[in-house]
Amino acid sequence: MIVEINGEQVFVGTGGRAYDRERPAVVFLHGSGLDHTFWSLHTRFFAFRGYSVVAPDFPGHSLSGGEPLTSIQDMAEWLHVVLDSVGAERVSLVGHSQGCLVALEYAARFQAQLRSLSLIASGLATPVNPALIEAAEHAPDKAVNLMTGWGFGPAGQKHLGPVPGNAMLVNGWKVMRHNAPAALAADLNACDAYQGGAQAAAGIASPVQVIVGALDRMAPRKATEALIAALPAAEVTRIPGTGHMVPVETPDACRQALSTFVFKHNPAV
Amino acid sequence: MSDFLKFDTLSLHAGQALDPEYGARAVPVYQTTSYVFPDSDTASSIFNLERGGHAYSRITNPTVGVLEQRVAALEGGSAAVCTSSGMASVFCAITAILGQGDHIVASSQMYGGNVSLLKNTLPRFGITATFVDPTDLEAIEAAVTDNTRLIFGELIGNPGLDIMDLEAVADIAGRHAVPLMIDATFNTPYLCRCFDHGANIVIHSLTKWMGGHGNSIGGAIVDGGNFDWGASGKFPTITEPYAPFQGINFWEEFGPSAYATRIRAEAMRDIGASMSPMNAFLLLQGIETLSLRMDRHIENTRALLGFLRAHEQVAWVSHPDLPDHGSHQQAKKYLPKGAGSIITFGVKGGREAGRAFIESLQFSSHLANVGDARTLIIHPASTTHSRIDGEALEAAGITEDMIRLSVGLENVEDIQGDFELGFKAAARVRQA
Repeated sequence: MIVEINGEQVFVGTGGRAYDRERPAVVFLHGSGLDHTFWSLHTRFFAFRGYSVVAPDFPGHSLSGGEPLTSIQDMAEWLHVVLDSVGAERVSLVGHSQGCLVALEYAARFQAQLRSLSLIASGLATPVNPALIEAAEHAPDKAVNLMTGWGFGPAGQKHLGPVPGNAMLVNGWKVMRHNAPAALAADLNACDAYQGGAQAAAGIASPVQVIVGALDRMAPRKATEALIAALPAAEVTRIPGTGHMVPVETPDACRQALSTFVFKHNPAV
Repeated sequence: MSDFLKFDTLSLHAGQALDPEYGARAVPVYQTTSYVFPDSDTASSIFNLERGGHAYSRITNPTVGVLEQRVAALEGGSAAVCTSSGMASVFCAITAILGQGDHIVASSQMYGGNVSLLKNTLPRFGITATFVDPTDLEAIEAAVTDNTRLIFGELIGNPGLDIMDLEAVADIAGRHAVPLMIDATFNTPYLCRCFDHGANIVIHSLTKWMGGHGNSIGGAIVDGGNFDWGASGKFPTITEPYAPFQGINFWEEFGPSAYATRIRAEAMRDIGASMSPMNAFLLLQGIETLSLRMDRHIENTRALLGFLRAHEQVAWVSHPDLPDHGSHQQAKKYLPKGAGSIITFGVKGGREAGRAFIESLQFSSHLANVGDARTLIIHPASTTHSRIDGEALEAAGITEDMIRLSVGLENVEDIQGDFELGFKAAARVRQA
């Protein structure tokens, strides 16, 4: 669906079912340079099990208009406006990578509607190599090659994937390249600058889960351990054989962990 | 995408997850119609496109799936759907996005099956085509109408071997917000990856060089994931709700693989031109050595070009790698490794000399195929293009004396020796 936010048309994926404010909402937040299609093996699942799905393309990404936002804090504020405009209550937030930072920041600021928080493939902070930011700004092909080359684990590099016929790495590459250089560069700069993770994590009261790809090279073990340490009540799921792109590399295991957690803490009516 | 696994490696490994139970190294042949569901929820979620998985082999099959993902990887496409033949691929690729009243701008130099489909069959379903010289950019643009929904051609024309200026034609397609579909059978992704030059859909007859051994019929449709179906606004089958899947909007749900998903959901279910698992296995064996074979095809082609041009019984020789070919510059741009392994030439003495030549060959095979490991040869005017009228034959660049040679992998001295037998027979006809 299209919603108008701050005068701009914003695309919100709803998983193939019309948004219904009477249902609990599962909100999917994509990572740097990506879009709602990153969640296609999850959104439709929840939408057909009693939930309203909100999977926005952030401003300047894929089907959404506007200029890319330049800080994680701005993204969290923007998300609040989106969720307020669609009337989302009883919210389960699901973030991937950069989306986790947005989710953390949102969760610390807007606790009232939050029922659960799921953080996939993220650290407490996401410092970005200056060479990658430079590439994103001036050599988008190189930046996207680096992002997808590092992001996908061995299965992605072999063009495997859970959907017969689909080469998941190429799908990710196409989306990210479409959103480069402007949106990708803005995202990477925002991630690099964000230092509020520890403070945000300390203020979160809702149930939290952390899902980790065992072969993640973009959110390496040290970073994810810092996130887990800052969220001592978090339920942690480690998925073997998976790189950074957990929701598309191992969607069945990811969906199992997500659905068990969301069904428990934010049950559908 | 140059920093990833290279072509040769992908040819051997792409798309194959190792068998977790037995560790089979080769791709297993899943010769099964259907798959046991672990529970009802999993079954319903597969049918509702909520997750990947197999339900029925008309729609998906694990062996075919490896082939699909391997072809997609080699082409740099977002997804591929394999079909029972190359012609099935062309039909499914077109009907996924075109319907009553829609129009195609098509190359006049295409495989006879493609021409027949567009000229005779699709018009009965309300889809029409205008055929144009694929090297005439002005003619291509002029043929586009308000109802045009596709530009369709071959990179290497058949059998005239004219090379389409892919990037220029892609620009035309882009200006009119319609996809460019290329039948890449003659070039394979080893010689040219058409998506890198602006194509949006690639079609293969896998029967030919991709499989390469002349043992299995099969086709593939590859989604480039690079066409903005939403911005175009001309393709409701991709961007508007589809009732059989609870109003799914493929573009919104699947983005870069929306087109392939539509084909999977509709054509494979309703038309059912599915590939057999055994054929997928055999085609995969061929793809494993694609780069090695193509290098040898090109090496032998270049040797035979020199041999034929020097031969007194040969009236003319045509191949885009020759400087006097009209598409030589395009060949250097798009096909730097070599412009394929099809040669056309004329035998002095006309039709009867040509017939004598072909019928005197010992191991070069007279048959209606190309892209086999073995050398194949045919007279198009009396075989592959025999159902096309004279005017269309001329428009397709075919002459009565034209011999089409598909250069095989034999020792090239043996091929030359075989041809000498044919030329001696042709000479006897000329002298008679």
